[in-house]
Amino acid sequence: MGAAGSKLEKALGDQFPEGERYFGLENFGNTCYCNSVLQALYFCVPFREQLLEYYSSNKSTGDAEENLLTCLADLFTQISSQKKKTGVIAPKRFVQRLKKQNELFRSYMHQDAHEFLNFLLNELVDILEKEAQAAKSDQETSSPPEKMVNGPKNAQANGCHKDPLVTWVHKNFQGILTNETRCLRCETVTARDETFFDLSLDIEQNSSITSCLKNFSSTETLNAEDKFFCDKCCSLQEAQKRMKIKKPPHILVIHLKRFKYIEQLGRYKKLSYRVVFPLELKLSNTVEDAESEYSLFAVVVHVGSGPNHGHYVSLVKSHNHWLFFDDENVEMIDESAVQTFFGSAQEYSSNTDHGYILFYESLGTSNKS
Amino acid sequence: MINTSNGMMSTTSSSNAQSPGLKTYFKTPEGRYKLHYEKTHPSGLLHYAHGKTVTQVTLAHLKDKPAPSTPTAPSSSFSTGSGVRSAAARLLGGGNGSRALSFVGGNGGSKSVSASSRVGSLVASSSSSSTSTSNFDGKGTFLIFNVGDAIFISDLNSQDKDPVKSIHFSNSNPVCHAFDQDAKDGHDLIIGLNSGDVYSVSLRQQLQDVGKKLVGAQHYNKDGSVSSSRCTSIAWVPGGDGAFVVAHADGNLYVYEKSKDGAGDSSFPVIKDQAQFSVAHARYSKSNPIARWHICHGSINSIAFSTDGAFLATVGRDGYLRVFDYSKEQLICGGKSYYGALLCCAWSMDGKYILTGGEDDLVQVWSMEDRKVVAWGEGHNSWVVSGVAFDSYWSSPNSDGMGETVMYRFGSVGQDTQLLLWDLEMDEIVVPLRRCPPGGSPTYSAGSQSSHWDNALPVGTLQPAPIMRDVPKISPLVAHRVHTEPLSGLMFTQESVLTVCREGHIKVWMRPGVSESQSNNSETMLSTSLKEKPLSSGKVGSSSYKQ
Repeated sequence: MGAAGSKLEKALGDQFPEGERYFGLENFGNTCYCNSVLQALYFCVPFREQLLEYYSSNKSTGDAEENLLTCLADLFTQISSQKKKTGVIAPKRFVQRLKKQNELFRSYMHQDAHEFLNFLLNELVDILEKEAQAAKSDQETSSPPEKMVNGPKNAQANGCHKDPLVTWVHKNFQGILTNETRCLRCETVTARDETFFDLSLDIEQNSSITSCLKNFSSTETLNAEDKFFCDKCCSLQEAQKRMKIKKPPHILVIHLKRFKYIEQLGRYKKLSYRVVFPLELKLSNTVEDAESEYSLFAVVVHVGSGPNHGHYVSLVKSHNHWLFFDDENVEMIDESAVQTFFGSAQEYSSNTDHGYILFYESLGTSNKS
Repeated sequence: MINTSNGMMSTTSSSNAQSPGLKTYFKTPEGRYKLHYEKTHPSGLLHYAHGKTVTQVTLAHLKDKPAPSTPTAPSSSFSTGSGVRSAAARLLGGGNGSRALSFVGGNGGSKSVSASSRVGSLVASSSSSSTSTSNFDGKGTFLIFNVGDAIFISDLNSQDKDPVKSIHFSNSNPVCHAFDQDAKDGHDLIIGLNSGDVYSVSLRQQLQDVGKKLVGAQHYNKDGSVSSSRCTSIAWVPGGDGAFVVAHADGNLYVYEKSKDGAGDSSFPVIKDQAQFSVAHARYSKSNPIARWHICHGSINSIAFSTDGAFLATVGRDGYLRVFDYSKEQLICGGKSYYGALLCCAWSMDGKYILTGGEDDLVQVWSMEDRKVVAWGEGHNSWVVSGVAFDSYWSSPNSDGMGETVMYRFGSVGQDTQLLLWDLEMDEIVVPLRRCPPGGSPTYSAGSQSSHWDNALPVGTLQPAPIMRDVPKISPLVAHRVHTEPLSGLMFTQESVLTVCREGHIKVWMRPGVSESQSNNSETMLSTSLKEKPLSSGKVGSSSYKQ
């Protein structure tokens, strides 16, 4: 372990970024799904900084109850405050807490990294919201919590409900999709907004993320047995539906649906399709011509041919270097090596390392307010 | 070394079984393009090569003998995509190819070679002795392509799937190559390696040799003495008297002269600003390379010279297309992709347009007159890799007489395994630009390039990425899935369109009207086509555009 660490240090040499730490994470038996996602989140710099900030400000208030948020903050603080630049850390408390919290992750079965990420982000949001609620009831007179950035429409949609709290987790990861349905009889467009922390995309063989995003937002016709109930016509009508991105998130998380339920087989199958992802990306399926550019900074990779077994590793970009995290091991890789994780053009291939979750950060103005 | 234990060499037909989902023809307004034949390499190499290298193809017309007084009109590189180079020469009369190449008949033995042994000899043209003669029926037109650690040479006009020659590299993988049909004598083929090493050789000499190594090669940048960065693209300077340029993954481009032995010490100063373009010349006159151009931060992915050699276009990891005045060593203009790296580029015959393809799935049309992107081709479902080319043989159906509408035909291939053909109608794309001239006068005319440039941006200005709604979009005329693997190149010949996939399989699609019997009746066809080609295609390109 020590030797591996020094190798990385040697590889980086003078270029070792000031104050940065590259630590592998110990595997407690099939916890690679967790390790790979944690590394991606750790190198999501705005998220990390805000978590560390939260930790330091929360520590002063004293004995907070242990939860996933405190465990994660604890782990990140532990990594960032290491004296050594490289090494291995055991995320023991975090994993214990995770297993305690959710029985899904309790077994030693192979777990889905995307499910874990989803669970974690929602859990963090819940905890922050509860805390804010508690703080609010403690001091009624203090200033109201921040409102949703995306104004009136959403508030209307939520009717008389109180405005949802916008936590720093939201500010980083939350985007808003709008589901536009146009009744083909009266031409009325009904728009319904929904928030998301990640986009789950259907994939096709030999395609690109750009193309998958296009398909995600392509127009779908609702007809035959799948008609749309138009409020204006007061009846079921044929309609056209499309999903657009109303508010692009600061951190765009794209989940490739590589695990597909095959009805004939009665089970899930892994799709090893070759789906290329560029290091820079723009969203063209936005409501306004936002055209903000994103830069890829982390990839969670699923290794293996099936959905129920295998391994997870992650690729992370930090200070313009690409690093490969495989549980305890951390290596430097060339940027061009990222393309070896696109997938296979042929169904049966020896290459089973496939990009599964992609993390892009907006290059535009950082997450303001 | 020679392992004759199995016959993989002779089983290529099964190795490249036609995928059931692929059609063997595609339709265009002018008719059907039919799959005529395929070229590939011994299947045993596939597993070894898989994913490691991307196949590029170079087309080479070998003349009968070194021609002392060939007209030097630049007939090369009409359809230079980065992945595919076309270098055509006139055949000096018919019936001479066979004599020049008859040597191969002598060694076209029936050695079968083990697939597992990658150093095995692949010398024999194939296991069938009949091919040794049929290969050289008068057409000295060869396809040169790289797969894994080898360069393969196939006879374009034979039915034989297998290459006539293979050359293995022990030190590194060959990744790019170019052929100069105007080479006065000596070396005409240049090869760039993954290690950064560069070789120049005589193609004819390789074909005459029975071995599996390069023979009579000149070695440049030996063991990465000048640059250990991967070669990405290589090109002869048109009319450059044996000068050639090699682009590398570290953003540098080196200029070599084949007449120099390459032994001289070449060291260049440290690059101060990675983001700035700079040119450094070698300190000693004997040095080879003679110059280093630092072009960009990150890899140069592809380069292409304009037909006349005046301009050099480069595309790279940073997403920029750059156009240089080659002799002045000056950056003229350029612009950024919508997003992501640019992967390939190609000039129109008349030097007015440059096509680029990249990671934004778009085919960009760059106008040298407007110095900006004038159209985006939308139609690929994945990256457009190493495969854009103008079809210089295609003449617009309405170009005769009227001369009103100018059309260009071009093609693109992508990682989505599709070949797309496009028609670029100048009226269509110019009109939207006229409506909102970018600060220019409405009196846009087809004046000379230089006068137009005067009121354009200052020389060397790079354009930012265009906004989606500002760029006119064009749609493909034809989209056809041609291979099962992601594609890496295409080129146009008078008779056909050639597509190649990353794994080194090449398909030759006959143009409509070119029947198979005709194309097999090779000699007259080729000699006439080669004679007419530079003239006719040049005419189509330039005269019909003037409005």
